[in-house]
Amino acid sequence: MKAKEVIGEDAEIALADARYDAIGKILETALVRGERKWEASDLLDKVFLNKYVGIPAFLALLWAVFQFTFEASAPFMALIEMLFAGLSNAAAQIPNDVIASLLADGIIGGLGFILTFTAPIFFMFLALSLLEDSGYLARAAFVFDRIMNKLGLHGRSFIPLLLGFGCNVPAIMATRSIEGTKDRMITILTIPFMSCAARLPVYILIAAAFFASNAATAVWSMYVIGIVVAILFALLLRRTILKGEPAPFIVELPTYKMPTLSGTLLHTWERGAAFVRKAGTYLLAGAVLLWLLSVLPWGVAAGSADSLIGQIGQAIQPVFAPLGFSWQIVSSLIFAFLAKEIVVESLGVIYGVGGEADIQAALLASISPVSAFALMVFTLLYVPCLATVGVIKKETGSWRWTLFAIVSEVLVAYLAALAIVMVGGIFI
Amino acid sequence: MTKSFYTVALIGNPNVGKSVIFNCLVPGARQHVGNWPGKTVEKKEGRFTHKGVQLMIVDLPGTYSLTAAAEDELVSRNYIIEEKPDLVVDVVDASNLERNLYLTMLLLELDANVLLVLNMADVAQAKGYRINIGNLSERLGIPVIATVATKGRGIVELKDAMLNAAGNPAQNGRRITYGHGIERVIDHLVSVLEKDCAISKRYPLRWLAIRLLERDAQALSVVKESGYAKELMEVIS
Repeated sequence: MKAKEVIGEDAEIALADARYDAIGKILETALVRGERKWEASDLLDKVFLNKYVGIPAFLALLWAVFQFTFEASAPFMALIEMLFAGLSNAAAQIPNDVIASLLADGIIGGLGFILTFTAPIFFMFLALSLLEDSGYLARAAFVFDRIMNKLGLHGRSFIPLLLGFGCNVPAIMATRSIEGTKDRMITILTIPFMSCAARLPVYILIAAAFFASNAATAVWSMYVIGIVVAILFALLLRRTILKGEPAPFIVELPTYKMPTLSGTLLHTWERGAAFVRKAGTYLLAGAVLLWLLSVLPWGVAAGSADSLIGQIGQAIQPVFAPLGFSWQIVSSLIFAFLAKEIVVESLGVIYGVGGEADIQAALLASISPVSAFALMVFTLLYVPCLATVGVIKKETGSWRWTLFAIVSEVLVAYLAALAIVMVGGIFI
Repeated sequence: MTKSFYTVALIGNPNVGKSVIFNCLVPGARQHVGNWPGKTVEKKEGRFTHKGVQLMIVDLPGTYSLTAAAEDELVSRNYIIEEKPDLVVDVVDASNLERNLYLTMLLLELDANVLLVLNMADVAQAKGYRINIGNLSERLGIPVIATVATKGRGIVELKDAMLNAAGNPAQNGRRITYGHGIERVIDHLVSVLEKDCAISKRYPLRWLAIRLLERDAQALSVVKESGYAKELMEVIS
């Protein structure tokens, strides 16, 4: 006697189905449901959990998030920028040249510039909090579990991956809830591909410069590319060095709720405030360091090719020549290992011009639109920031895996950017 | 037959109020919290006396199922198989019976002496559910009672029911009959397993047969050493 011939390939599912059938039969007589009160919830689930519509619905909602982020934050960004322009003018009046330059070019030009992106970061978190508090994100996890399980990945991974949209560090810590060392390792190694809030300023700056009316769509595409690369990379790991079967996973779907104003604002504030705290510490230190490198050796034109930062950028630029990145961009990418916002900060310091419009003009003059898109993708995918590397080391407890994460992610980023430049080159 | 001491395991899905029930049964000061030997899973236990009979309660981890893949689920099922508690109290969310009864089905497969507690009965009522407890009890073949633990309702009745059920094990709860084909395979596996005394003394055979069909890691390792391993593997491979 052969079980497979009688039951079929998957006995586990056949048995589980039989149990649910039995439960259904028992409840037919033992349970009277009375008035159904969750009609709306069922209706929404018909769409959001649908086999075919579920993923497009997720992508559409995500697109709406970024459209909203762009539109809503624009006036606030202009306002913050005006504030810093005023401060910068005032700082330039300081008689001491060194102090005036440090304040105007370094701190205000770099840190002040990144702070204008506080607005989009808060609005993005507001939109994501609404999706989470309404009960939608749990549905997204459910829909992705279905695909991921088919691909041999653990569905529970998707929740830490979604957390990665905020910040990769807590997302990696959240992988502790995943059973099985291999499932967990795969998730840890793929989380850095999820686009965290720190990368948003980079996208917004570049997308607004190069893709004008489609800017929100360009930003949205980064999040989608991040998810796709994360899934492909996980698949690669599963097929090569971390072979195995994923454990089944049950997602608890909460009923849909109308998000409360106070709850949503609290969520938004908690996450957004983390960015402001980071600005006051890491990013301030980064601004000072970048400014120093841009004015040393003393006497060179600030941020010019002769400055230290210019020399570093030019030394490494040939590696990135196939991608069409200028040395200014290469230096910003190097220092952005500390934190990804530094790409924006250092462009502000190096180009030494005030305001988003001026920096965008400088970018437009230095790279092609295809290279600009490749730069967005490279920023999305390459080495996680220092804090993320630290938490990977802590959670895996292994330098080898940590090093593997860094090297593989730089490689993936480079290859993806190269592919974009090559494919883009054919069409344009 | 009544004894003066019973062991009781408390089990249920996450978020059904199992901890609240545990706290209602055993005052905080008399709870003992530790870890399961060699595991990172927390173990809570405590004793209380009702009508002169002492009951020792072990609070098993909250889980949805009893697979071998997850540490907490394995802890629960090994406890039931190896320690054979006099009673397993299965706490379910009365407003979400479809999902919660899945664990109940698995417990019945384990030949455990199950008492079903429909907690959060008020939430179910607010949702417009009316549960026919007598019918549910009859269909499952086990005693069923309703509680609202957060308001302390039904706790005395629960203690009475526990005492009663521990002393008079239900003649095995009604099992699910799987489809005709599946049953034939299960019967065949059981008939092979019966021949191995070491296994049939230790494990409920029907349960082991079902786990083998599911290719459960622990079940596979149990039969690996058996003289009938080849015969069994031929069926399930």
